[in-house]
Amino acid sequence: MLKLLIPTLMLIPTTWATPKKWLWPTTLAHSLIIALISLSWLKNMSETGWSYLNSYMATDSLSTPLLVLTCWLLPLMILASQNHTAHEPINRQRTYITLLISLQFFLILTFTATEILMFYIMFEATLIPTLIIITRWGNQTERLNAGTYFLFYTLAGSLPLLIALLLLQNSAGTLSLLTLQYATHPQLLTYADKLWWAGCLLAFMVKMPLYGVHLWLPKAHVEAPIAGSMVLAAVLLKLGGYGMMRMMPMLEPLTKELSYPFIILALWGVIMTGSICLRQADLKALIAYSSVSHMGLVVGGILVQTPWGFTGALILMIAHGLTSSALFCLANTNYERTHNRTMILARGLQMILPLMTTWWFIASLANLAFPPLPNLMGELIIITSLFNWSWWTLALTGAGTLITAAYSLHMFLTTQRSTVPTHIIALDPTHSREHLLMALHLLPLILLTLKPELIWGWTA
Amino acid sequence: MLTRLSRFGPVLPRLLCNPPARFVSQSKATGAAGSAAVTELHPAAETAGHAEVSPYVKNPDYHGFSSDPVVDEWNMRLGFFFGISVALVIGGTFIHYLPDHGMRQWARREAEHLIKQREMEGLPLIDENYYDPNKIVLPTAEEN
Repeated sequence: MLKLLIPTLMLIPTTWATPKKWLWPTTLAHSLIIALISLSWLKNMSETGWSYLNSYMATDSLSTPLLVLTCWLLPLMILASQNHTAHEPINRQRTYITLLISLQFFLILTFTATEILMFYIMFEATLIPTLIIITRWGNQTERLNAGTYFLFYTLAGSLPLLIALLLLQNSAGTLSLLTLQYATHPQLLTYADKLWWAGCLLAFMVKMPLYGVHLWLPKAHVEAPIAGSMVLAAVLLKLGGYGMMRMMPMLEPLTKELSYPFIILALWGVIMTGSICLRQADLKALIAYSSVSHMGLVVGGILVQTPWGFTGALILMIAHGLTSSALFCLANTNYERTHNRTMILARGLQMILPLMTTWWFIASLANLAFPPLPNLMGELIIITSLFNWSWWTLALTGAGTLITAAYSLHMFLTTQRSTVPTHIIALDPTHSREHLLMALHLLPLILLTLKPELIWGWTA
Repeated sequence: MLTRLSRFGPVLPRLLCNPPARFVSQSKATGAAGSAAVTELHPAAETAGHAEVSPYVKNPDYHGFSSDPVVDEWNMRLGFFFGISVALVIGGTFIHYLPDHGMRQWARREAEHLIKQREMEGLPLIDENYYDPNKIVLPTAEEN
């Protein structure tokens, strides 16, 4: 653990001590080295499930892929925000990088915590840097409103979780994930037990976000600066899925009947948010709603509680993390050139930025789950396990994939094809930095198809 | 929500609700105590101004990293070296040569060998009695 936590912490003094000129190259190289070291977590030698164990932290095959994704995202965020923060005073740039680093620090602690209460505290701690990033570096005044939504939705969801965890501590005598999985399950019969079940999952469903409590997400995504959008889509949403998968074994007898409405809500959300994407004019809002749609599948996969459901959920989370982050970066390259997010005002970019169109094409294909990318594997596995649970889900999941393909095509065609609007006179050519950024998003995704067992979770 | 805080503006001391830049003396520094605070707080117009001037005018080899051509090129080199050569290539090699956890790949290879062998010998792929019944020692009725 410390081999990653100490370099991450030491990035902060590096950020403040580096000369102004070399700030961005230094932090980029340093964070990429951290990302390289994080791959060593994938060397899983244990036969008991947990590895790299110490008194507070451990990794297992569920948390390792998410940890590596977290460490991979920091250099990408640094790379992505280099251009738009370049005109700010140097201390503000350093503060910005420091916030991103602290976010990675808290996220590592969240994913490695073995004590659920420490997981909870770190889960909440990630709110603070994210909130500052959104409300300070967002582009418009609506960012304050978005920050309020973000903060209060997540807090209102997670305070019941704190109460539920304290109750669990009272009855089970421990909150350690290592021992709780062997604890005997109490009979959960009363209404209070059912409320406790809801309290345990509500925080994560808001964070995922489940359709119905998702309204904070499009606002936060639209208003956040590029790094905020990236980390929100790639890692912070996955905290919800990760938390649900961790809590599931403790909720055992109740989930079978109580999860019914939530699975239906999640699948209905896949269709509804997909339909919203179809008529969306705002590029970033479209990508944000497509995240909600994909996360609906993940919630469904987790709530049916089969090994396939969990595996599919983890695969889809990792694949979606890389894909949606890539799409946000692409949207940002448009935004930095045209200074607006409206799709019809930046049409026909294939004529101007042809190589960028290639990246748009690959990212759109990944978003609509094109074989052989892990996105497809995740969706197929989740759809299969849901189908096994009830045949009727196929109507919803099938329509969902169709709509996903439709809006991905809509996004690609609107931004890249047709004629260039007349007000676009001169756009900068694409930068090497942007191509590097896209390659670092999409190459790992393609490489994952060669060794998918890395993200199979508990079944691998 | 944060905007609503400004309603308390008149209540709060002026120092808190106004940006401190307003309080910088605009007059010429008269002695050692004077400072160039104004120029420090408001960076030169050409760096803080509209970014519409294409950076390619100054540096045709612009890579999108920095307006300084030397830093720009070095940042590009560092990014590509540590991102592609180190993280993806060395990291990918490391992952490829990870030990076979739980001997799953070995089991797969072994199963394929076994299928080939049994097909050549004309045997069923898996016997009805997976374990040889003669080798299983069951407890007798008395021991139960």
